[in-house]
Formats: sequence, C-alpha cells, structure tokens
Amino acid sequence: MAAVPHPSFSTWSSSAPAGAVRLSTLEPGQLATLHGAHLTAHDCALLNALGLTDRCVLRICKVGEPCIVQVRATRIGLARSVADSILVVPQGAG
Amino acid sequence: MPTAGVERESVLRPAPGAVPKSTRTLRVALIGNPNTGKTTLFNRLCGTRAKTSNFPGTTTSAKVGRAVVGGDVAVDIVDLPGLYRLSLDLPEARIARDVLAGSGPYAQPDAVVVVVDACNLTRNLILTGELLAYGLPVVVALNMVDLAQQRGLSLDPAKLSAHLGSPVVAVVARRGLGLDGIRASLGKVLQQSARRPADAGPAAPSDARDLTAWAEHIVEDSVGGASAVGSGADTLTERLDKTFTHPVLGLLLFAGVMVGLFYTLFALATLPMDLIEATFAQLGEIAGRVIPQGLVHDLVSQGIIGGIAGTVVFLPQICLLFFLISLLEDTGYLARAAFVMDRLLCRFGLPGHAFVPLLTSHACALPGIMSTRLIPDRRDRFATILVAPFMSCSARLPVYVLLTSLLFTGQPLLAGLAFAACYALGASAALGSALLFRRTLLRGEARPMILELPSYKSPSVRNALVAAKEQGFAFLKTAGTAIMAICVVMWWLNTFPRVGPAPEADALRSRAEAVANPAQAEALRAEAHLIDQRAAQAGSFAGRLGQTLQPAFAPLGFDWQLTVGVLTSFLAREVFVSTMSVLVGDANDDVTDQGVIARIRAATREDGSPVFTPATATSLLIFFVLAMQCLPTLAVTRRETGHVKWAALQLGYMTTLAYVFAFVAYQGLRLTGVS
Repeated sequence: MAAVPHPSFSTWSSSAPAGAVRLSTLEPGQLATLHGAHLTAHDCALLNALGLTDRCVLRICKVGEPCIVQVRATRIGLARSVADSILVVPQGAG
Repeated sequence: MPTAGVERESVLRPAPGAVPKSTRTLRVALIGNPNTGKTTLFNRLCGTRAKTSNFPGTTTSAKVGRAVVGGDVAVDIVDLPGLYRLSLDLPEARIARDVLAGSGPYAQPDAVVVVVDACNLTRNLILTGELLAYGLPVVVALNMVDLAQQRGLSLDPAKLSAHLGSPVVAVVARRGLGLDGIRASLGKVLQQSARRPADAGPAAPSDARDLTAWAEHIVEDSVGGASAVGSGADTLTERLDKTFTHPVLGLLLFAGVMVGLFYTLFALATLPMDLIEATFAQLGEIAGRVIPQGLVHDLVSQGIIGGIAGTVVFLPQICLLFFLISLLEDTGYLARAAFVMDRLLCRFGLPGHAFVPLLTSHACALPGIMSTRLIPDRRDRFATILVAPFMSCSARLPVYVLLTSLLFTGQPLLAGLAFAACYALGASAALGSALLFRRTLLRGEARPMILELPSYKSPSVRNALVAAKEQGFAFLKTAGTAIMAICVVMWWLNTFPRVGPAPEADALRSRAEAVANPAQAEALRAEAHLIDQRAAQAGSFAGRLGQTLQPAFAPLGFDWQLTVGVLTSFLAREVFVSTMSVLVGDANDDVTDQGVIARIRAATREDGSPVFTPATATSLLIFFVLAMQCLPTLAVTRRETGHVKWAALQLGYMTTLAYVFAFVAYQGLRLTGVS
C-alpha cells in the first residue's frame, strides 16, 4: 500500500462554509463538525489518522494551550496554533 | 544503526517461498495503534527474553521474541512500531508497510496479530482495514475488554470476526487473560494458511472516508452501547487534564514530578553504583595480586577492569531512569507534561518531549540521550541529542568545584554564583544551539504538537522492568564495547612509552633508606612515587601530545600541564582533577580536601609563574562547561543517531564553541587587566 501524503481535508480558505469558526474560539463542552484545516499535509494526515476526519463530530474538552478535543473515544491534545488553523461549524449553528 | 542479531535471526530471513514453511521458524508480526497494550501483549506472549535491535537502516527499535502457539509451534514474533495508519508518511508506517509486504530487507510474516483497543474500536479498525488489504492471515486481539465493559460497551467478538473474516479474541493483556485464545487462533491460522474471505475488509482501503465508514458500520453492528462512548465527558479525566496542562499549576506539578523522579534516581542508584565501583576495585586488587607486576598487570587492572567499571557503573542510573520513565509514560501523564514544556521549548525549535532528556542530562548525558526515544519526530530528536551534552552533568561537578574554588578562594557566595552560572551557561548553550541546528542542518520549526492523550491508568511494573532490562542491555552491548575499547586505547596512550625512574625520585628513595624515622622515610618514598608518576605522565604519548598541542591551547592560557589535563579528560571530564593532582604532585584527587585545592592553586609553570591565574581558571571553566569531554556520550550519540557523522558533528561543534568562548573569556580578561 502506497503512502498517502495528502489527507481528505480541504484548507479553509477554499471551502469555508457558513457559520464556520476557528476551533480555538469554541467553549468547553461544545460539539462541532470539522470542516477543514490550514495545516501541512503531514499534520492533516496525522489528525486524520487520530480520527479527526472531514465532517466528523468532535467535542471541545478544554480551550487554550493545549486545546483538547474528543472524537469518538479518542482525546487529542492540540497546540493552540493547530487549533487556530482548524475550521469547525458548531452544532446548532448555521 | 542496523545491528546484526535480530536481522539475521528474524527479520532478514529468506522469504517464505524460498524455504519450505515446515523447515523454518514461522514469523508473526504484531501491529497496533499506540496505547493499545501492544507491548504488554508482546511481553506476555514472549516473556522477557526478547531481543532488541533496530530495523535495518533505521533507528527505530525492533523487538523479536519467541512464543509457542497452537500447542507446540514455535514462532518468532516481531513487534512492529505503534502506528495509527499504515498509509501515513512516517518512518514507523514505512517500516510496517515494508515488513507486511515482505519488501526490501524483510521477509513477509506468515501471520499478523493486530491489537485493537476495545474502548476505541472505530479508530483501531481503520488500521485493521488497511492491514486486511495485505491478504495475510490475521488474528485480532480485542484488548482491554474489561475497561470496555466498565464503560457500558457490549462487544460481540463473533460478529466482529464475521465482518473481518479473521478470528477475534477478547483479551486483557495487562492481566494475562485471553492469551491462550491468541495462541490457539494463531496456531490455527498458521497451520491452515487460512486466507480470509475475499469480501472481508473495506472496498477501498486507501480511502480515509471509505475506511471510516466501513469501521463505523462494523462497530454499529457488533458493539452495543457504542453511541455512549466518547459522547459524554469523563469528568475525572477532564479535571486531571485541566490541572496537568494548566500554565502555572501544570508547570509546578511537572517540576514536582521531575524532582521526585530525580531524587528517586539519585537516592536509589547511588547504592548499586557504589557497589559496582567497590566490586571492580576489589577485582582490580585481586588481579593486581594474581597477575605479576608488568604490562599485562597494568593492562588488566587499569585498562580492561577500569574500562568495564567505567561502563557498568552507569548501568543502575540507566536502568532506573527507564524504569521510572516507563512507569510515568504508562500512567498517561507524560503526554500531558509534553504540552506544558512545549510552550517554553518550541521557541528554541525543540518539542515539549525534549524536556525529560534535557533534564536527565543534568545527571548524565548517556541516559539523557537514550531517553530521546520518547521524541517522535526525527529532526526534533536529533536536535535534542546534539545539544543534550551541554547540560552540566554530574561528572563536571568535581571540575566546577575545583575551578570555582580556585577563582573565589574564601568567597563562598561568589563561588556559588559562579557554580550556578556554569549551569546557566550550559543550558543557554543547549537552547541556543538547538535553535541554530533547527535553522541550519535540521531546518524547520518545531512541529506544533498534535498528540493523543491516552487514558489515565495504573502503570505496569512488568512493562517497566522489561524496558529497564532492554535499555540496560542495549547500552552495554553497543556503547559498552566502544567505551571499553576506548579505555584500553587511552590507557595505552597514558602508559607508553615507559619512562624509567626519575633521578630526583631515586635520590629521594636513597634518602628514605638512610632515614631512621619510618614516617619520614614513608613520606620520602611517597614523594618519589609522585615524581615518577609525573615524569611518566609527561613522557607518555598523551603527555607528549599535550606538549605538542600546547601552542594550539596557548591562546586560552593553557600551559602544557593544563593541555595534558584537558586531553586526558577527553575520556571523562572527572579525570581532569586526578590528572592535575598528579601533575602538580599530589596523588589525592578529593576536591573537598582544601589542601589539594591549595596545592593545585600553588602549581607553577616551568618559568615559575602560576598555572592557574583568574583568567586561566575562567577560560578553563568555560571550556569544561561547553566542551564534549566524554567519549561514552559520543558512543551513545552514534548508536542513537545511527551514524558516526552526528557524533563527529557533536564533538566538532561543542569543542569549537568551547574553544571560542574560552578564548574570548581569556583574552577579554587579559585586556581588562585580569591575569
């Protein structure tokens, strides 16, 4: 199986839907749907592998440095710069 | 660094087609996401007799163990690195792909055991889906089923098995439950060469969305209560995460944990280290009595026994450190601590993971460099390895004590401040150099941290013991052999050519014969012995080298005696004090003895001027803070980076930096009238 250098993420500059905000602006406990990330292909692939795939639903556990999110049963710590670069649509918004 | 043992025995064997299956030991690959208990299962299946090496051409650790499955079938189990996806463009994923495909130097395994976390099935099944595409017989170890049940999940291994076309065995690796099922299923798939049904596995295993949909479908069909997992907040975990990653509280807690770790390390390692030193001293004495005086006697007692002692003495620290780090890592705390330190270290191009190795290097750079294995990114790891020896290790302490005492006699406050400044200079040099390396040779910013935060759990003492044993053996095997060879070479340089008794010493001995007072006679003989030692040191290859190279060190204010001290301490920094003691005529090398310091301070050059002026002592102190005066560290750097060029770079860079800073300090002080 060949390596897949590019993930299924789109960058937010090209596909930001209505109501999309940076992940870092959400409050703890909020649910959101992932819509893209302005990150390197490597970081996107790693997020994908951890379960942060396009349109997945995630829960914000902690904001700040680090930002902690939960997707299914996986808790993921993200540097603030990464959380700033991820675009989500809060559930109930838009 | 490829190490022959494992490759020859297990990984690089002929492909299955070349040798009939019945005439060779079968191979099983163990694969799984990180934090799924893969290593625990490996240790349970193979015991503690696994061989550790590196995958060929990489610095990724490879473990191979022997297990008996299906009643009486011996198999070699290759523990592949933990990975989230086979398709990732990461070293561990590349190795796993090559092993599974049997490409490059690897032989394809006869079967694969994939360890999946029962509490986190969807993500783990995605890796399983990729694995199924290889068409190999697969056994699925559904680990941590006890925790899954506690969380309200009801798992149906039979349904899972039907979806995956492979046996699924519920296990609790930590408690050793379900291992017989794994062995039996492995025996079955190996004997039958069972192939999975063609429709098992996802339709498009390289497509992330298809894989996720496939995994979610299986979980929906096979797991009851799955919707409850991950949707609610685990309040204890959330509170602990908030505390451990808090900017202030997290830092304080981390400092407390590190103080506890190093206190334990020093408190517990001291006794075995003292015992090792005493044992080897005893061995040296026995060898001295058994072997007649002469070259062989000196080689055995000083070169070989001294060399082995100089290696083995580090073993308690290394084993204990890895035992404690393994326990900490197992709890899930280290992943949180990495974020705390990332805020500081990322400014210098280093990841948060680098903190433990850098702090450890204050005790000794050897375990510090070895613990960089915690750092996932290669460039981050190499940058940390290159700068770790700048941290002031315990071997530098005697030199710091000596030189700060020489600089500030009777001024303990200033001596203390100078002592602290040495630590600050070392740490600053490490951080500044890390920034330099990340902007040149290891170009790139420190990668922003994206890290899975594993569940908090009680650590496995068994795993920690295995980790300590593996690291201890790895150190002895690679670094130990190099260190011993170097010790013998240094002994030879210090011993040859043999110099006969000095006329001045002979005269003293004659006087001793004539003196009636036994104490006075003994003192004269001791003085004669020191004169002989000094003459031998000066006349040896190392001494001659010191005198030849002295012009190069003259701009730093070093005379030939200091140059010899610097060269002989290349083996280990603490040797400097004993060398200086011999050169200035005192066999005592106890720096807490003020008499020794006074005598070293009073040492003169051949023209009668003092060896240690304030400018010289400052220059020498800076040189010792920054220089790479430790051959064992270079041996470990070579081993951990997989190439001698990184050790050469470390030596060249640190020595150059030490030379430049010492030069600037000496010349600057001279220009300002301090000499």
